[in-house]
Amino acid sequence: MNINTNLKAENTYDAIVIGSGISGGWAAKELTEKGLKVLMLERGMNIEHIKDYDSAMKAPWEFERAGKLTTEQKSTHPVQTRDYPYNEATEKWWVNDIDCPYTEDKRFDWYRGFHVGGKSLMWGRQSYRFSDHNFEDNAKDGYGNDWPIRYKDITKWYDYVEKFAGISGQAENWPLLPDGKFLPPMDLNCVEKSVKERLEKHYNKTRILTIGRTANLTVPHKGRGSCQYRNLCSRGCPFGAYFSTQSSTLPAAMATNRLTVRPYSIVNHIIYDKDTKKAKGVMVIDAETNETMEFYAKIVFVNGSTLGSTFILLNSTSEAHPNGLGNASGQLGHNLMDHHFRVGAEGSAEGFEDKYTYGRRANGIYIPRYQNMGNDKRDYLRGFGYQGGASRGSWHKEVAELAFGENFKNTMSLPADSWSMGLGGFGEMLPYYENKVYINHDKKDKWGQSVLAIDCEYKENEAKMREDMMNDAAEMLEASGIKNVQPYDNDCYPGMAIHEMGTARMGNDPKESVLNKWNQMHEVSNVFVTDGACMTSAACQNPSLTYMALTARACDYAVKELKKGNL
Amino acid sequence: MNRREALKSVAFLMGSAISSTTIGVVFENFILPEKEKNFVSFSVSDEQILSEFAETIIPTTASSGGAKAAGLGAFIPMIIRDCYPANMQKLFAEGLKEMQIKCSKEFNKDYLSISKEERNQLMSSLRDDAIGTNKAPSFFLIARDLTILGYYTSEIGCTQAREYLPVPGRYDGEAPYIKGQKAWATN
Repeated sequence: MNINTNLKAENTYDAIVIGSGISGGWAAKELTEKGLKVLMLERGMNIEHIKDYDSAMKAPWEFERAGKLTTEQKSTHPVQTRDYPYNEATEKWWVNDIDCPYTEDKRFDWYRGFHVGGKSLMWGRQSYRFSDHNFEDNAKDGYGNDWPIRYKDITKWYDYVEKFAGISGQAENWPLLPDGKFLPPMDLNCVEKSVKERLEKHYNKTRILTIGRTANLTVPHKGRGSCQYRNLCSRGCPFGAYFSTQSSTLPAAMATNRLTVRPYSIVNHIIYDKDTKKAKGVMVIDAETNETMEFYAKIVFVNGSTLGSTFILLNSTSEAHPNGLGNASGQLGHNLMDHHFRVGAEGSAEGFEDKYTYGRRANGIYIPRYQNMGNDKRDYLRGFGYQGGASRGSWHKEVAELAFGENFKNTMSLPADSWSMGLGGFGEMLPYYENKVYINHDKKDKWGQSVLAIDCEYKENEAKMREDMMNDAAEMLEASGIKNVQPYDNDCYPGMAIHEMGTARMGNDPKESVLNKWNQMHEVSNVFVTDGACMTSAACQNPSLTYMALTARACDYAVKELKKGNL
Repeated sequence: MNRREALKSVAFLMGSAISSTTIGVVFENFILPEKEKNFVSFSVSDEQILSEFAETIIPTTASSGGAKAAGLGAFIPMIIRDCYPANMQKLFAEGLKEMQIKCSKEFNKDYLSISKEERNQLMSSLRDDAIGTNKAPSFFLIARDLTILGYYTSEIGCTQAREYLPVPGRYDGEAPYIKGQKAWATN
């Protein structure tokens, strides 16, 4: 009897998917539906749909601290507290920075969620296609390498993932923002409608405003409930009304009976077989017991989040791959990007005092990129889009400074007299080789692993673009009849947009890139990377929908190749 | 200065103001050393005083109970201890004492014994001090921020002072507003 053989057989699957977030969930669904026996490894805890959304149905007064964090929470989450997402209602989702440290050569805010579902539970749900402008920009201006694909290569996969995930939105026929297979759009409110009309007229439709395209269901879809307009998505949706691994891809994968999910499984590295020149599996540390174990498969999909995936690849060294798996190009870890934002303008809309909102729409407006297209030329490359919206809040600027007492209370209990309208830019960041991550062996995490070091900054192109992001916003609001327009730039550090991309880029040339046009490693044919790490450029659109489409496309290719005996 | 430059300089001035239009976000991101946790403690009478202090900021009115009924007397010290760094806890606790001393000096009575009018008078004077010091962190500012935060997230604040709609089920972006209609409790 050979126990090892039995163990090996037990731990062998057709495919291993590392990570269970947006792209990992898609990989698990596609691969299992195509007949493969799949092991999905998740480094954090399990989260069961609905049951584990602890705060989802809580009223404001059912929280102990009105949403505030304790000093204890702040001390264990020093990075996660740098911006808004981590609060009393969502604390479960955000990583303990002390257990899972990284080092910053320059400030980089790395927001992470380690649990089944990953950031699919916490994402902003804005879902936009890339256009050919985006796929061609690198080749045109020389920053980064050329994308190995064009819009036509991914169109049908956008169609495919949108139809399954359920994306609501309005078709606009805008060259830089291709239309999708949309569910009915959410409504603009009265102020947004007015701004849209005046803005599009003022700019003669060279700029447009549309409702955000969002992975929130406006009608019931594939057994999931439609949005209830509570605006509490960040807690997990008990109606399954937004796309997440739990609401969408995981049930589909489970239905095949071919998926095994293993939480608390930290993939330390991919095991490389020098004889076959392929990956033969992964080495896992059990996050609870610290035990190490190996799992084996014919193909490995790496979906551990942009920097999580790249860490694993950099950490997978062998004689054949001394600088990280599939890193002969030297590009692994380089060309890190994020979007830059927190800049724009806001003001007040008058004449709508007899209108109010009913329901809370977890979505805003979108102004797609219009710069550096047609006759619009700027003194920087690429461009930006805007997200924003109008609301009638409850903050009263007419209240006397530091007021108190009965009148103060009465005023505070009414909606504001005027509506406010804001536009916040999301700008493209160029891929710079010197923006990089590498492994820092001087620091260890809770499990004794070396940690990632991040060395990334925005540069001149982004700084120039920010001026326009602020000024254009102010000009558009003024042109739309908004009063008291105040531009702002609240400063931004890479990582804050939680759109980190790049570090294992796609490309046609193995000397210049890590992945080919199928998200397959040039050098290790049975390893696929389909999360944000694969991105060759960042565009200015929210990227998750593109990860979904690339993942479904790569899975289709991988299974075909596997069946042909090529992997 | 051209228009764009003018806008830029406004933005420079406005940047911080815009990001802090809502209440009580000061001191949000302090990290504190282990030994400095829970620096101060609050007595039962402190809680009574804070309860009345908060009630002066948000009093009971015809429509709804005030800060006292909403439990702010316990909420404020709890947040101070759990969420504020040691130096702010200390500043708050000292400010609370100073407020009581000021009260004794001015009215020759302790805070729990003075009248509603006298409490308003005292509060006005603290407000003027805060404006005078350009809103330097103080007992008054923190207590006021936490009163507003605690009250409008309390059940009374959400369901009586404002209107709470747990599951709207639909969105109407141009619903008629009838004058006097309360604000929604959540956005």
